[in-house]
Amino acid sequence: MIINHDGREKMEKGYIENGFIVDFSNARKTSEIIYELSRILDIPEAQNKQVCLKLGNVSLTQPELTSIKALVESMDSKIEFISTNSPETIDSARALSIEISELENVMEAPDFEMEPAVSPEVENALDKIFGDNDFDKEEDEPQKQVKEIDASQGFIEEEEDDDEETVLMKSEAEKLPTLYIKRTIRSGQSITSDGNLVIIGDVNPGAEIIAKGDITVWGILGGIAHAGAEGNTQARIRALKMNAIQLRIAEVFARRPDGINTPFVQKTNEFIPEEAKTYKKNIIINKLTEN
Amino acid sequence: MSGRVIVITSGKGGVGKTTASANIGTALAKAGNKVVMIDTDIGLRNLDLLLGLENRIVYTIVDVVEERCKLKQALVKDKKNPNLCLLAAAQTRDKSAVTEEQLKDICEKLKKDYDFILVDCPAGIEQGFQNAVAGATEAIVVTTPEMSAVRDADRIIGLLEAKEEIESYRLLLNRVRPNLIKSKDMMSVEDVVEILSADLIGIIPEDTGIITSTNKGEPIVNDEKSLAGRAYTNVAKRIMGEEVEFMNLEEETSVVAKVKKFFKGLMVKEK
Repeated sequence: MIINHDGREKMEKGYIENGFIVDFSNARKTSEIIYELSRILDIPEAQNKQVCLKLGNVSLTQPELTSIKALVESMDSKIEFISTNSPETIDSARALSIEISELENVMEAPDFEMEPAVSPEVENALDKIFGDNDFDKEEDEPQKQVKEIDASQGFIEEEEDDDEETVLMKSEAEKLPTLYIKRTIRSGQSITSDGNLVIIGDVNPGAEIIAKGDITVWGILGGIAHAGAEGNTQARIRALKMNAIQLRIAEVFARRPDGINTPFVQKTNEFIPEEAKTYKKNIIINKLTEN
Repeated sequence: MSGRVIVITSGKGGVGKTTASANIGTALAKAGNKVVMIDTDIGLRNLDLLLGLENRIVYTIVDVVEERCKLKQALVKDKKNPNLCLLAAAQTRDKSAVTEEQLKDICEKLKKDYDFILVDCPAGIEQGFQNAVAGATEAIVVTTPEMSAVRDADRIIGLLEAKEEIESYRLLLNRVRPNLIKSKDMMSVEDVVEILSADLIGIIPEDTGIITSTNKGEPIVNDEKSLAGRAYTNVAKRIMGEEVEFMNLEEETSVVAKVKKFFKGLMVKEK
């Protein structure tokens, strides 16, 4: 959850595990920060969460930062880290042993489609496959894109209409019926669901599973999965092990990087469940760890 | 431009049709030709795996036929060679998803833009074979020096001869083991040619490198040290009309044999 500095809730749950970013880079006074922060931390969802402060160019002296820290702690939360461009704030944070981080580190860089393009040839080939639209370029330069998100104030500038639609899409999956399948889906088999799809078992390479809503695989997802097949960009794909050849959510594609494009699936008993979702016309995968 | 449509077929499964397609296609493209490969093994596709293009397939030949996409959209470009592309088979359908007429039509369209259209044929002589052969004017019959494969190749050649469209066919002898031929445990190249009375286009030695190359999704012609890789490059040259002598496999391996003998000799002496 990202909450910008006027307190309006924004999309992107799970952006930081068990916490949220608060953007104060536009704040003019320390009092403004403290006021907003106390308001935000008062929301029930914000309690017992980690808080990350995006401070931009705001300069904070050590006493100011101390009081902010005290405030956060008095509200049963904790400052996980801050990001700032101001040398003074950096010094104050160091003195208080608050971690300083660039915001791009906040988002766990998903290891799926996020490999940088190997060569122009590959890039070219990709364009040829998926068409030459914007999304491909972003896919090829994922790291850059992560930075772009942080640098812009894009969180605040989201259109409200979009938001309503997003909210509708998010809740859509919950209203849909669910197809429950308990077996291995093998090469050449195709499962299509008008609602959500739950598969207890593996989905082998060469198989494809398509659902209008969410897809959850309790096993290794090795084939092609297409969630939100009728255009729901908020649909999710979850699996104990993501090894998919391709993931599709609504109109967004991601393919497995060539480096791990081998026909062998490494069988392992140590699974960290993963979840794929769209983010700005890309697909990102988060590991669902406890922290 | 009017490209040549060559079907690669065998009758028997597992003799190396798909490996041959991937390698000949890659070799032809490396030589500067524009090449498109069509996988007609709908439901049991493999050619994409051998080329390492599995993760790039969005549309397949069935999507083209059922007009869900344009032909050009379905052509997957190779990672390394922009001259090479693949029209993949659908995995979740079967051979009846495409008809002979439709395949003929696709080949006709591709002829305009490509020098070579290689059609990878499925095993068997049913619908899949009929489809694959429909658009082709030339054929490469893959066989191995085993009685069963030779018998099936003979059957296939009979079927090909009955097709008016097929102007020529040539034989590709795969998985040849000179040592076994020498010890008379394997049919010799001459034996096979005599039984089938067909022209040879290539002799490919058995090479364990094929297994690794298949698993990596990297055709063996890209490995210049590999004997099989060089043999496939020669096949491509012969297709392009060059006269290339057949490799003397016995000589090639005899170097290894000599080294082995040398070491064996040493060991005996030490004992």
